[in-house]
Amino acid sequence: MKKFVHESWLVVVMGGAFAALLATTQSATIDRIRENERQELNTAIAEVVPGVDAAKPPEKLSVAEHDVYRCLDAQGKVVGWAVDATGAGFIDKIRLVVGLSPDGRTITGVKAIWHLETPGLGNKIETKGTENFYPLQYTGKSTQRAMELVKRPAAEPHEIQAITGATYSSQYVMDIVNAVIARVVPELPAEQG
Amino acid sequence: MPEEMSHFQQFKSGIVENNPVLVQLLGMCPTLAITNSLENALVMGAAATFVVVMSNLITSLLRKLIQPHVRILIFTLTIATFVTIADMALKAHLYQVSKQLGAFVPLIIVNCIIICRAEVVALKSGVVRSLVDAFGIGIGFTLALSILGVIREILGSGSLTLPGGTKLVELPAGFEPHAWIIMILPPGAFLTLGVVVGVVNYLRQRKPKEVAA
Repeated sequence: MKKFVHESWLVVVMGGAFAALLATTQSATIDRIRENERQELNTAIAEVVPGVDAAKPPEKLSVAEHDVYRCLDAQGKVVGWAVDATGAGFIDKIRLVVGLSPDGRTITGVKAIWHLETPGLGNKIETKGTENFYPLQYTGKSTQRAMELVKRPAAEPHEIQAITGATYSSQYVMDIVNAVIARVVPELPAEQG
Repeated sequence: MPEEMSHFQQFKSGIVENNPVLVQLLGMCPTLAITNSLENALVMGAAATFVVVMSNLITSLLRKLIQPHVRILIFTLTIATFVTIADMALKAHLYQVSKQLGAFVPLIIVNCIIICRAEVVALKSGVVRSLVDAFGIGIGFTLALSILGVIREILGSGSLTLPGGTKLVELPAGFEPHAWIIMILPPGAFLTLGVVVGVVNYLRQRKPKEVAA
């Protein structure tokens, strides 16, 4: 017994001390980390829902198991919805914010806020300003029918051109958007906006 | 670790003669995975330096108390604690970079450079020597990652951006569409590392001959 204590007391003491140290760091940083995450979501919402007032925090609802934000403008009028949607990606999951018009009939924007898609190819699902054409194609699309991926410039209103014919990421993003169209859009609360 | 080394030699050894990446070829996982840009390389280097400094400090302070057969347990405990602290600090203060580094910050825990310094130096040396060694190794690691980061970012993205967003180098606009995407993909890491290690070995082999002549 004495031998056990002699050989292990340091590990036990260090375990306790380090746990206290981690708890202190955690409580010192957690607010800031949460704030960063909130900021990121709000920035994405502002990008996909035009006219949203940054000073009015969007109201969070749960629609068809998705977090949906009701976005207001400065006058308190509903200017659209932002859907927080996550789905499978090529390497890791992809998290999108999908903007919808107040009546839910039009997509007002798609923005990826988390993904690990291939740099130079799949990461073109991310908009940087107006650089990448892929996510921008969703803006203005009708939610009346599911999107279809094509490997040539889109001709029909429901078509989206893939990043390259062989890039899976285009399909994964589309699957997430189509899931939002199929599941969230019909369940949106009616809005006289 | 020969005890006759001066503190300065110990420090320099981590950067030049015993550079963990370019000479010892340790810590290859972050080296290959996150050197697609200079910013990632610098942040990863700084995080690893913080961890190796703290781990060497603690190990060296406790070296007389550590029982030989539980030493690995103590190293891992120490390293894991400070990696978690570094990870939380990055998430709080450098959120975008920490997203790009993803799992590779927590993976510093299994970076063999750090456990190697604890075992080889900190367990047998005083606090000052252990700290000097940790800073040397940390800077050597950061330097090696930065060399790879600079090469890969310029060739793969056509530009070089400092942390904070200042563009340091920008290749002519005509280059960008033809940037070698492969350089920021995993194969580019192997190609660049191979070339850089080759150059380092060439320089190391040349040196003694010059001394002899």
